Order: sequence, then C-alpha cells, then structure tokens
Amino acid sequence: MNEFELIQGLRNGNEAAFKYLVDTYQDRVFNTAIGVVQNAEDAEDVAQEVFIQVFRSINQFKGESKLSTWLYRIATTRALDLLRSKKSKKRFGFIQRLFGDSNEPLLELPDFHHPGVALEKKENAAKLFRAINQLPDQQKLAFTLHKLEGLSYQEVSDVLETTVPAVESLMHRAKQNLRKMLEKDMR
Amino acid sequence: MRIMENNRNNNIEDILNSLDNSQPAAAPDFFYTRLVARMERALPVKNNTGWRLKPVYVIGALLMVLAVNAVVLLKGQSETGNFTADNEESVQQSIAAEYSLNDNNSVYDLNQDK
Repeated sequence: MNEFELIQGLRNGNEAAFKYLVDTYQDRVFNTAIGVVQNAEDAEDVAQEVFIQVFRSINQFKGESKLSTWLYRIATTRALDLLRSKKSKKRFGFIQRLFGDSNEPLLELPDFHHPGVALEKKENAAKLFRAINQLPDQQKLAFTLHKLEGLSYQEVSDVLETTVPAVESLMHRAKQNLRKMLEKDMR
Repeated sequence: MRIMENNRNNNIEDILNSLDNSQPAAAPDFFYTRLVARMERALPVKNNTGWRLKPVYVIGALLMVLAVNAVVLLKGQSETGNFTADNEESVQQSIAAEYSLNDNNSVYDLNQDK
C-alpha cells in the first residue's frame, strides 16, 4: 500500500488502512515520544493519542508534507503538551505542600533508561537524558529527533517547520547547553 | 590538573555520544489492540431516545395532536347541531313540565270568585 492509497483508505474510514498505518509507524511514534517524555507508559499514551488524532483529522491533512512528517509533528506536539501538564501539576503540588494542603510527598522522577541503549552506555545515557530534560523545547526536539530517531537535519527541519540552518543552530546550542549542564553536574 | 580536565572532557563527550548507535525503542506488545480498545471507549454512547427530538417526529406529533383536537371539535359541533334541531321542542316541553308552566289548573280564574 503506497502513501496515497493509505491516505485514501484512512479518509474512507478503512480499518485495514488504519491498522497498516499503526503497524508501519507505531515504533517511530513511540520512540519519538519516549525520547521527549522519558517514560514508557506516558510514551504509549502519547503514541495512542497521535493515532487517534490522525484517525480523526485525516481530512485536514493536505498532503503538503510526508505522512511520516505529519506523524512526527503530532507526536512531538503531544509529547510536549504532556510534559507541560506534568510540570504544572508538579508546580501545583509544590504550592499545595507549601500551604500544607497536601501531604503527598513530591516524587522526583527516577533516571530514565532508554530500552534501545546498550548496557555499557546506560549510565551515561541516563545522565544525558536528565540534561536533555532541562533543554528548551525546540532544542530538545531537534536533539532527540536527530540523535534518537536518526532523522537528518532536513527531516528535522520539516518536522519543526523550520530551515536546515535553523536546525543546525538548534543542535549547536543544544550541545553547548548539555555540555554546560554536564560540567556542572560533575563538579 | 590538565589530565583531570582532559578526563572530565572525555567523560562529557562520552555522555554526549551515549545515544549514538542506540536502537529505537519498539512500541509495547498489543499496542494496536489497546489503541482500538481506547478508541472504542472514547466513542460517544448512542442515545436511543435521541430520535424523539428529530424535527420530523416533533412536527409529526404536533400535527397529530392538532388533528385529534380538530376532529373532536368538529364532531362536538355537529352533535350539538343535531341536538338543537331534533330535541329543542322536547327540551322546552320538559322544562315547562318541570316548572308546571303548562298546567292550566294553576291559573286563577278571577271570574270564579265573583
């Protein structure tokens, strides 16, 4: 099934087309999401939301970009939305604790271990993920899409709807920031 | 001192490159099954009483009520008309009988007293 047939099938509500879409892209969407949210359960949640959104809004897809680019765009947006909502909940929990409204302890997230990282690199990767978590959103997306998902700068620029030089700049700043954070951690 | 700094820099580079050649994470097993189950749960529950609010049924029901009212009114009018034509005289008689209006005996004969 080529992309045109797949999109037509999805527009006609064809279940086989939807299954083909999920089977083809589920790993890419999940891997993108897990790189951003750094939690397997949240990543599955995000991935499900991505496919539900595609199912509902396939008629809004104009075909100006590749279907995979559109999926990556939805996945990154959803993943960032989830991160923001978790951060605001955490902030609210902190304020509640300050005023004594909540007795629940504030849970610090444990180190994230990406399932695809080799065992000997797991410890370093956990440190890197901790630092990635502190990057600004665009730098975080550019870094994870390029490093984890293996997208080229051109593909990353398509997903982020920007130019290749802008992605190069984002990557450069991301690496600089990560280096600074890691240096700080080592002192 | 310089050796320590070099070691630290190497360590940072190792950390920065720790994601190189990593395998992509695969979606969990039965992802599609769980996705479909979630989509089915999210479907709006079909309201069986919804058809009652469709304009066709609402207007139909109103027309039916109006038709029943019209039939009752027309029937009532025609029955009232027959009743008046056929029985007006008998009603008058019965009323007169009830109040003894036709009883000649009750009229005083003024000449009789004389």
